Amino acid sequence: MSIPLIVFFACALLAVAGAVTLILAREPVHSALALIVVMLSLAILYLLLGSDFIAAVQILVYGGAIMVLFVYVIMLLNAGAEERTDFSKLAKFAGVPLGFFLLLWTAHWLAHSPAGRAAGTGGAARHGVSTIDLSLLIFRKYLFPFEATSILILVAILGALVLARKSE
Amino acid sequence: MLLLEHLWIILALPLAGAAINGLCGKRWPKSAVNSVAIGSVSLAFLAAAETVREFSHLAAAQIPYVKSYFTWIVAGPFKVDFALQVDQLTVVMLLTVSFVGMLIHIYSTGYMAHEGGYYRFFSYLNLFKFFMLTLVLAANLIVMFVGWEGVGLCSYLLIGFWFLKKSAADAGKKAFITTRIGDFGFTVGVLLVFWTFGSVNFGDIFKSVSGMPAESMAQMGILTVICLLLFTGAVGKSAQLPLYVWLPDAMEGPTPVSALIHAATMVTAGVYMVARMHPLFSRAPIAMLVVAIVGALTAFYSATIGLVQTDIKKVLAYSTVSQLGYMFLACGVGAYGAGIFHLMTHAFFKGLLFLAAGSVIHAMGGEQDMRQMGGLRKKIPFTYWTMFIATLAIAGIPGFAGFFSKDQILEAVQSGPHANPLLWLLGVVGAALTSFYMFRLVFLTFFGAPRYDEHKVHVHESPVNMTVPLMILAFLSIFGGWFAAPKLVGGVDHFTKFLDPVFSSYALPGAEVAAEVPAEAAATPATELLHALTGVPVIVGILGLLLAWWFYIKNPETPKRLAQKARGLHALLLNKYYVDEIYAALIVRPLLWLSTNVFWHAVDEGVIDAAVNGTASVARASGGQVRKLQSGNARSYAAWIIIGAVGFTVLLLGLLGVVR
Amino acid sequence: MIPLPAEQLLNLHRVAPEVVLCVFGIVIMVVDPFVQAAGRRALGWLAFIGALTALASVHLAAHFPGRAYSDLVNVDRFSIFVHVVVIGAASLAILGSLDYLEGEGLQRGEYYALVLFATAGMGILAGANELVTAFIGLEMSSISSYVLAGFRRRALPSNEASVKYFLLGSFATAFFLYGIAMVYGATGTTLISGIQTFLVSLPPSQHLPALAILGLGLIFVGLGFKVVVAPFQAYAPDVYEGAPTPVTALLASAPKVATFALMLRVFYVSFGSAQHLWFWVIWISAVLTMFIGNLGALMQTNVKRMLGYSSIAHAGYILVAFAASTDLGIAAALFYLSAYVLMKVGAFLVVTHLGQQGERRLAVADYAGLGMKQPVLAACFSLFLFSLLGLPVTGGFLGKFFAFQSALDAKIVWLVVIAGINSVIGAYYYLRVIIAMYFWEPSQDYTPTPVAPALSAALLVAAAGTLYLGLLPTRVLVLAKAAADSLSLLSLR
Repeated sequence: MSIPLIVFFACALLAVAGAVTLILAREPVHSALALIVVMLSLAILYLLLGSDFIAAVQILVYGGAIMVLFVYVIMLLNAGAEERTDFSKLAKFAGVPLGFFLLLWTAHWLAHSPAGRAAGTGGAARHGVSTIDLSLLIFRKYLFPFEATSILILVAILGALVLARKSE
Repeated sequence: MLLLEHLWIILALPLAGAAINGLCGKRWPKSAVNSVAIGSVSLAFLAAAETVREFSHLAAAQIPYVKSYFTWIVAGPFKVDFALQVDQLTVVMLLTVSFVGMLIHIYSTGYMAHEGGYYRFFSYLNLFKFFMLTLVLAANLIVMFVGWEGVGLCSYLLIGFWFLKKSAADAGKKAFITTRIGDFGFTVGVLLVFWTFGSVNFGDIFKSVSGMPAESMAQMGILTVICLLLFTGAVGKSAQLPLYVWLPDAMEGPTPVSALIHAATMVTAGVYMVARMHPLFSRAPIAMLVVAIVGALTAFYSATIGLVQTDIKKVLAYSTVSQLGYMFLACGVGAYGAGIFHLMTHAFFKGLLFLAAGSVIHAMGGEQDMRQMGGLRKKIPFTYWTMFIATLAIAGIPGFAGFFSKDQILEAVQSGPHANPLLWLLGVVGAALTSFYMFRLVFLTFFGAPRYDEHKVHVHESPVNMTVPLMILAFLSIFGGWFAAPKLVGGVDHFTKFLDPVFSSYALPGAEVAAEVPAEAAATPATELLHALTGVPVIVGILGLLLAWWFYIKNPETPKRLAQKARGLHALLLNKYYVDEIYAALIVRPLLWLSTNVFWHAVDEGVIDAAVNGTASVARASGGQVRKLQSGNARSYAAWIIIGAVGFTVLLLGLLGVVR
Repeated sequence: MIPLPAEQLLNLHRVAPEVVLCVFGIVIMVVDPFVQAAGRRALGWLAFIGALTALASVHLAAHFPGRAYSDLVNVDRFSIFVHVVVIGAASLAILGSLDYLEGEGLQRGEYYALVLFATAGMGILAGANELVTAFIGLEMSSISSYVLAGFRRRALPSNEASVKYFLLGSFATAFFLYGIAMVYGATGTTLISGIQTFLVSLPPSQHLPALAILGLGLIFVGLGFKVVVAPFQAYAPDVYEGAPTPVTALLASAPKVATFALMLRVFYVSFGSAQHLWFWVIWISAVLTMFIGNLGALMQTNVKRMLGYSSIAHAGYILVAFAASTDLGIAAALFYLSAYVLMKVGAFLVVTHLGQQGERRLAVADYAGLGMKQPVLAACFSLFLFSLLGLPVTGGFLGKFFAFQSALDAKIVWLVVIAGINSVIGAYYYLRVIIAMYFWEPSQDYTPTPVAPALSAALLVAAAGTLYLGLLPTRVLVLAKAAADSLSLLSLR
């Protein structure tokens, strides 16, 4: 087992564990902290894939700025432990098991696909994605969706504004 | 050739009447509404008459006369023109519909004089005329279908006309939904016709079908499938077994509506359609047999129900169902001409019966129960005499219109190319029953001692605008069948001869049209006449009369005693074989149960979870101050998504064949 | 060589409708703070003008068919058709919102901006030739929808609708995204036409890649959620009932059309060679959708919720045409969609007016006697209901007719039979409302309020359109057929 592979599994496990904690934690602060773990492990995964720029952005923007914002908001709202509502029976007995099944099932096909086999040999990681490549993709090939995304973000901000605004 | 060129005028007149009355009638006095309504339908009748006159000058090669006005729908190969046509079959229908319709319009001005929503009633009535004439004049299946659905819609509007009466609204709904079952079959039939023949124009269809051989009895070919589907539509519209249930309930509507729509015109649309599509039916023996069997069974079955009904309109309703059965029986044995003949005479005498019944109800101040009538003969003589004539006609007493047409049908069933003794027997027994229950109606209503409170009910003859249509129809009920009279003395049946070009031009090569079967060649005119006058149908008709006389005039106690003795049978008939209840138990209630308990309570309200109840309605009921969002439902909704995802991906990969 | 950004500016006319919609949306946002509360209504009119301008600019785009932005965007007759329907639906919804918002005290610029952005998203969806672009469009319309559904913030049902829609919508989106990733993994491209080229060029002896098919299944989950087909429909009645009624009118119409368009592109073009596989998915889903929609609606006493279920049922009928997967079927589906939009928006706008302040009057019983009190409004509503029911001379009938015809052509007989049974069941619940309007005793506590001019204009357009499609369908049919042809041109079959 090569070192990158060991790092990969460590970070992947960490990311999954963080995500699970994020959902299960009752205190919002715990959830926020778990989210930081997820973000950081993802950043390392990106690094492993050779895209150092994305990894840096991940840490700076998500791990840093956004998380700080989250923690602030939680503090300001003084949000307490969340209340639990009853769990749906259908979800408990059908949804969750089938969800796991779906996970394994897709994983199975991923692993058996040509792309999956290629990934096992370290496919994409060989040629790292440079900032130049990325810029070319974003500002040339994918210019249209990239610009559309700005509207998408605008919509999200607007939506937050509408929902959070004091009622008149 | 002015009107033949502009057939659309016949349609435009009633439509304009409907529009004018519908839009402006509210503010107008009744006389103005009357003139618009009657004016438009009278003009339509005159236009129809003029059309027929011009039609009579056409050469045989020009018939059917098809006039296409514009291309209506184009969808790839699917092309529909707004096209109208006239041939002999159309002529018969056109005159019958427009004339009887006109009379009923006139009658309605008297009958509905004291009802609210007067203008709306006439607006719907005119609209109905428009759709009915569209149906009759259509030159392709799609235009016909528009008329077909349009008359259904108007029928629904007119049944429910008596506002605020729950039973009327329910009856309208029942009529609409039941006929929709048939209409779906009809739609698919039309689609299959297009699929098979590449056209929906009658001319094109018949041309392509005339090259096709007849399908055999053992073969469920495409023609058979098409015909059975089309017939499903006819079963719904013309109230045959098993979809007849809506027609008796439709009697909730005003009586002129029952006369026009549920006796004279709309319900016969199914018969007309089958006759119109005869080149297809003639090549599909299985379908023909089904038509004949359904017709005969219905004729017999609903006659038995008619025996014990006490509501005067219900008796007539079951009688209509039964008579429609005869028309289908005729079509089913290939005697289309006889079927259409009966359609026409039936329009006269059944229209008259309903109008006269309306006059009785009018005279009795709204009473419909025959047990509360009796002895009306002297008090409303016009009504009595006209109704008596109509009864003689429907019972098939020689000389009256019904005799000729019914005789022709039964003769075709007995000795035509598709003769069938069993069906004939059903038809004959049905004829006897018909005669019995019709005279029962007359005797109960007009004879004996009055059974109503004479101080409370002031029986009065109807106004002249109601009695004149009665008399005209009575005249037609007598003489309307005489076209066929010469045949009795070995001459020509003018009616059948007139229709012959329609029914013989696409007939199977080598096969004769049933109605054309020559009578026994050796017979002399005199024996021929004797033969017809003493035929089985006549005998059973008179038997029915005598029996009714015996039961209801001679020994009025007999019916009660008989009902006591055969209590089970009587109850069975009185409750119409419990068919409504059976349908409710087998179809309606399970559906509603499924909807309420599974789709509403379980899926919709999420009771399946037995957890928190998160529907908006419940949350609102609990007061609105509980501002906690319930997420139980959201979780089970998500579970459904997962179930779907797993199901579909497994299915996809299973079909791909990679999962073993 | 991929063109420089400056050169790509030249392609702006190909996305003119989206650009116009976004510009108007941004202008409204900018102007909003400077407008007095009383003058906010003008913003609504501005939005309406924006929608109309966008509609006009579709015309501009139509003059420049072809691909743009490194093939990510496609302008063909198909996308033009869908654009017109979607933007038309949005304009009607805006017209219907003006007075509703006034009455609810919700008149705000954000509302209109969100509607315009949502419409822009749907436009992107309609023209996308690439799955990630489509995803952005989908999210634009979805996120706006989540917020719009919760716009009546003081009403609990509206809040609930918003949250449920958001949670489940994100859930479904995840499936969609995962599906895209798998398809990319299997084929190495996210271009809709590229996927097709890859799959078609496989040697015939070889299986289609399982990963791509798996991805297709997951994409169906995501898109099926947005067009509301079973078993992903569960959220819809809650959301449709809870959302402000004009928003429901929009949600039940335009996004369905746009998402169906994408679905047609993905299934018919990209995965055309896998038709024998996805046919059964569509078939099963159609049957489930029709039954759940119709049986669910059968006993509803709330008209708004009943119409919500009915729109589920209609998605099922559209799937019937979809299953035919012929040019005729696609044309039928497009025709059906345009008729559906008119009648559904019309019906919900009637409910908007009759709900009165706070949406109190939504029960069937509240419609009692409407035929006598407001005959024109009742006549319009009857027309929409009859069209939904599928009576001739309305667009709804011909929509069903062509859908069934195309399915029969493709020999999918059983599906047509099941659809027929369902359309009979459907007659029951539509009729109940009509009966209530015409045959029930009018309730005493209700005094009819006159229909505002803007709303009546919208209703008139919808009613006229419904009749037009039923009486003179040819023009629209020709356009739908041309649109279907331009799609099958891509499908290389």
